Amino acid sequence: MTTQQGPQRRARSATGPRTLAEELRARPDDALAALLRSRPDLLNPVPGDLTQLSARLSSRASALRALERLDRFTLQVAEALATAPDGTSTATVRTLLTGPAKVKPHPGATPLTPADRSAVATALPRAIATLRDRALLWGPDNGLRLVLAVREALAPTAANPGRTGLGPTLADATIGMSPARLQQLLASAGQAATPDPVTAVAALTALLTDRARCAALLDTAPEPALRLLDRLVWGPPTGTVPDAARPVTAEDAQSPVEWLLARGLLLPTSPGSVVLPRELALHLRGGRSHRTVEPVQPEPAPAAAPRDPQAVDGAAAGQAHTAVKTVEELLDGWGLTPPLTLRAGGLGVRDLKRAAQALETTEQQTAFWLELAYTAGLLAPDGEVDERWAPTPGYDSWLQLDTAERWSVLATAWLAATRVPALAGTPDGKGKPRAALGPELDRTLAPSVRRAALALLAELPPGTPATAEELLPALRWQRPLRGGPTGPDGRDLRDELTAWTLDEAELLGITGRGALAAPARALLTAEADPAEVLAPLLPQPLDHVILQPDLTAVAPGPLLTPLAHALALCADIESKGGATVYRFTPASVRRALDAGRTAADLRTFLEQHSRTPVPQPLTYLIDDIARRHGILRVGAASSYLRCDDPSLLNEVLADRRSADLRLRLLAPTVLASQAAPDVLLATLRTMGYAPAAESAEGDMLITRPDSHRTPPRTAPVPVPDGPPTPDDTLLAAAIKAIRAGDRAATASRREPTADPRHLPRTAAAETLAALQTAVLLGERMWIGYLNAEGIASQRIIDPVKVEGGFVTAFDHHADELRTFALHRITGVAELDE
Amino acid sequence: MNDGPLIVQSDKTLLLEIDHPKAADCRRAIAPFAELERAPEHVHTYRVTPLGLWNARAAGHDAEQVVDALVKYSRYPVPHALLVDVADTMGRYGRLQLLKHPTHGLVLATTDRPVLEEVLRSKKIAPLVGARVDPDTVVVHPSERGQIKQVLLKLGWPAEDFAGYVDGEAHPIDLDEDGWQLRPYQAQAVEGFWHGGSGVVVLPCGAGKTLVGAAAMAHAKSTTLILVTNTVSARQWKHELVKRTSLTEDEVGEYSGTKKEIRPVTIATYQVMTTKRKGVYAHLELFDARNWGLVVYDEVHLLPAPVFKFTADLQARRRLGLTATLVREDGREGDVFSLIGPKRFDAPWKEIEAQGYIAPADCCEVRVTLTDSERLAYATAEPEERYRYCATTATKRRVVEALVKKHEKDQTLIIGQYIDQLDELGEALDAPVIKGETSNAQREKLFDAFRNKEISVLVVSKVANFSIDLPEATVAIQVSGTFGSRQEEAQRLGRVLRPKADGHAAHFYSVVARDTVDQDFAAHRQRFLAEQGYAYRIIDADDVL
Repeated sequence: MTTQQGPQRRARSATGPRTLAEELRARPDDALAALLRSRPDLLNPVPGDLTQLSARLSSRASALRALERLDRFTLQVAEALATAPDGTSTATVRTLLTGPAKVKPHPGATPLTPADRSAVATALPRAIATLRDRALLWGPDNGLRLVLAVREALAPTAANPGRTGLGPTLADATIGMSPARLQQLLASAGQAATPDPVTAVAALTALLTDRARCAALLDTAPEPALRLLDRLVWGPPTGTVPDAARPVTAEDAQSPVEWLLARGLLLPTSPGSVVLPRELALHLRGGRSHRTVEPVQPEPAPAAAPRDPQAVDGAAAGQAHTAVKTVEELLDGWGLTPPLTLRAGGLGVRDLKRAAQALETTEQQTAFWLELAYTAGLLAPDGEVDERWAPTPGYDSWLQLDTAERWSVLATAWLAATRVPALAGTPDGKGKPRAALGPELDRTLAPSVRRAALALLAELPPGTPATAEELLPALRWQRPLRGGPTGPDGRDLRDELTAWTLDEAELLGITGRGALAAPARALLTAEADPAEVLAPLLPQPLDHVILQPDLTAVAPGPLLTPLAHALALCADIESKGGATVYRFTPASVRRALDAGRTAADLRTFLEQHSRTPVPQPLTYLIDDIARRHGILRVGAASSYLRCDDPSLLNEVLADRRSADLRLRLLAPTVLASQAAPDVLLATLRTMGYAPAAESAEGDMLITRPDSHRTPPRTAPVPVPDGPPTPDDTLLAAAIKAIRAGDRAATASRREPTADPRHLPRTAAAETLAALQTAVLLGERMWIGYLNAEGIASQRIIDPVKVEGGFVTAFDHHADELRTFALHRITGVAELDE
Repeated sequence: MNDGPLIVQSDKTLLLEIDHPKAADCRRAIAPFAELERAPEHVHTYRVTPLGLWNARAAGHDAEQVVDALVKYSRYPVPHALLVDVADTMGRYGRLQLLKHPTHGLVLATTDRPVLEEVLRSKKIAPLVGARVDPDTVVVHPSERGQIKQVLLKLGWPAEDFAGYVDGEAHPIDLDEDGWQLRPYQAQAVEGFWHGGSGVVVLPCGAGKTLVGAAAMAHAKSTTLILVTNTVSARQWKHELVKRTSLTEDEVGEYSGTKKEIRPVTIATYQVMTTKRKGVYAHLELFDARNWGLVVYDEVHLLPAPVFKFTADLQARRRLGLTATLVREDGREGDVFSLIGPKRFDAPWKEIEAQGYIAPADCCEVRVTLTDSERLAYATAEPEERYRYCATTATKRRVVEALVKKHEKDQTLIIGQYIDQLDELGEALDAPVIKGETSNAQREKLFDAFRNKEISVLVVSKVANFSIDLPEATVAIQVSGTFGSRQEEAQRLGRVLRPKADGHAAHFYSVVARDTVDQDFAAHRQRFLAEQGYAYRIIDADDVL
């Protein structure tokens, strides 16, 4: 944008800061800190001074990144600003958004009620402040200036009308038009001739911006021409017309298009296409830059009735319990039989299926549980040659926590995770399915969408469920530019992520029956420990079961862990859920006997833990199995003690402390014990002996737990969506450094650098900043330049644009517009004027 | 967390703790939609199935009630997914309706057009329907009323049948309540059936299903076709009907292998209906012989496959199914649902037992040990001969003798599978044997003698499994069975469950050879009985001898 340059602007800038850097310099430290916090990319690396900072935040990439993080209204304000010349006042922006109060709006525009107008008026200062805080906008309220990169990104052009649907200004659209033609246009529009092209453009612009004169001109237009304008008014502002550039005059205009072209109401752009100049479009729109202005976030209005918050918390707690148990079950299984990782990373489809079968759930859900465990650092590849997925040592520590704390670990990890389990199994770019736990499941958009969706849920009255469709309008309003790629079905990534977030939240017990539960609220606000909120909602573990004559045992709730393990040993699990149903079968009883229990052990165990009398068929079953077990007498003794010295064995046997081991002399040199080998070993050691374990082959055995673990592993770091948000210490240090650098830079600014005999030399950052300033102020610069052959030269240039490492400038030596590579510019100096 | 008696499991089973104070309320709340699967002593297991949910819909319950019942009584939060699934499944019932259209006759109408589009696209539906009347209605060939209901159920969109019934030929029938009364649950069952139009009444053996049939007939007051399992059962029906209703001997006909009477009330056996002559069902015309107003299916869980086919054509008549269990060993519960009708009433055995209408039973398994030579012979027997070998071991005879002796004052039935074994036992005990070849006259004579306590021990083969009425049998000894059939076990137990004059408990013994397949099969049957809530003990043969 090169409109409105020259002396006029300089005169005005005398009252306020001359450049963005100057304005930044005037800002207090905490305002700078806020800027850096909202745009952390500016800190990488820490800029040397404020000129550098302003140069960096004026770069296209950084500006776009900042724009992406604006809500819809703030963005609309920025867009409205971009349609107006620099130096606009707040009042003008408001008029652009709402249209002048007395002007009838275009019928295509969403009508505004007085309430809407006041909402705009209320929201506008905040939006302006946000833009200013993020350094996308500077200057006083009566002279607002968009940072150049922002203006370039948002200002409507013929090729890119943007969301306003407006075209270029008349001045821009007439660039390159011959002076004669401009006079023709003036004449056709019924205006007096002017001395030069600049005044001609000004006169035409004045005609279109004057409501009364413009309306009068349009009144003379034939009806089809008005209809044609109407088609272009809300954009796209361009239309295709054969030989649009033909200089038609009012006299020889035949068609409606020609009528408009003759008067400059449509202007030719590229050959064969015409554009509606911005001023006219605004006139036709009744002065409004946007068809619909959305000053406030649409509030989600859930269709479902609110549920009892207690029921919600209950349902969520139940699911939280299930989540913790599921992860535990999954990882316990994988601790014993760890599956291989794929060569490309991730988990094979067959292993996923197997895990899903073990969990009795779908593969999709299994992928979620796996990713959850992975995200929480409980599961990782073990790094061996044949790499396998296995629980980490972190899993063991996690197991030590109580259920509520365990859930808290999972939920915290989930909230920040960039992993998107729902992508597992979907085809990637090459049409191959993505593997669960694989490298292709990270989406940087995920955590922000997740948090935003949950935050919206949290704002609803407690117990109110909402669907993704109900939340999405608000999410879209908050970050209109952050939708992610759109899929073939027209849904963008954010739409999908929102739906997935709600599904996952339900599975994890973040929500219960669709509404946010209390523990999750604590998690989001960080006001209370979520584990403490959750703990009282969880069912208390029981120490008893109900035994039934059909050989089942029903645990009417979660069991204490040791009891659950003991019961799982001697009975098969038949049904899971709130309760657990165990079934005793001959095989399961045999399994318990094989594991070293005796019939008496089992009977006592059952009597102790049964709330009801042990049914006769069950004791009969146990005795019957034990009876046959006994006949063969193979493994009923759990351990043995072997020694070549019979007298030593006798000594052990006679020792009263060994009574608990229930030792039996099988042969003079062999003692059998009903105690497990580790108990036997431990007891013997406490008795003062030095026993050693031996394997089946009689080799010495070094015991260690058989469960598989990875080496120490840290949890995967969520893939950053840009640089991390800096903390206060870093910010303070950075600002200090910038201020210091700035003082140094401004101190040396006045030193004479222009020595005509030498190439000017300045630091690269300084060069860039100086050139950008020059573009802004329309100043002439003296530069040193090395061409492709390495030959040095000095040039006087009028920089026009600094972008993508190149400076476009009018070169006074060559007398033409040229492009200079920034890195070839040795330095710059201001010219003495 | 509330303190309800119900626990909802993730596999859609419901555990009901029956010692809980709210257990009875909860049972009433969940009974309409959940099928009682197991009823052992302390915790009953119900299962929520699509059929069960549709049964509930047919009975006028909606998803909201089901969800309410689950949420209200559940001790732990009910998984949301399950609630959604319940609502979904129930929502499927009734989206399609069979209606009588004033001009087009039988039509299939929908309240949800995409569903109609979906089912019409099925290849199986296409031949059953005719022209599209309007976007939501399509004509159904009247003869395919049953067929289309079957197919729609398989597609997961069960149709609600509002097409109504023909009244049939009127015939006066009244209950003759002289000295007896319809028990409350029987009256409820009839009420439930009549209200629903057609359907199945589930009552335990010995709970008076025949009377439910009779009361239904008295409601219908029209000509009735009754289908029963065999001739003996047919005679019993006739006997009961004449005794309990205003019907006379002449008004009730028997249509069986021996007699071919067609009267206002006709009782036919499944066997004669499914007899084929030269490849065609010879007695089909019976269904058209009269304008029947009601068709009663006794023991509906045994309904042979061909009868389903005939029934499919009988959809305009009221149908009443009577059974002790909806479990079919062939898994055709869905056909019963779509062709006979949804479940209209059921009451668990224990509840009726508690009301004193059936006798409590003491089940006992006696384990006999094979002798060494028998074990050797068993171990070397051909696999297909093994069961027969261990089931008929000579050791069992001594146990049976001891048991008969122990209960010498009681009327005792000895039930077995193998004729040789039964003959041998009959000889040893000096008791008459009833088997397949025994003539009907001889059977009735022996049953009469048994009823009159002229003989106290009767040895019967599996012919006596069904529908014979032996009021005073208090002891049943089972020596061998059809492998592990739960069905047979229920029927055999039913033999001793008729209420006893002196209120004595019934005894049910199974004699089983230890460490053989016999024991494995017995484990199956034992599980069934325990799940029905019967006390079950296992003792060694030595304790009896």
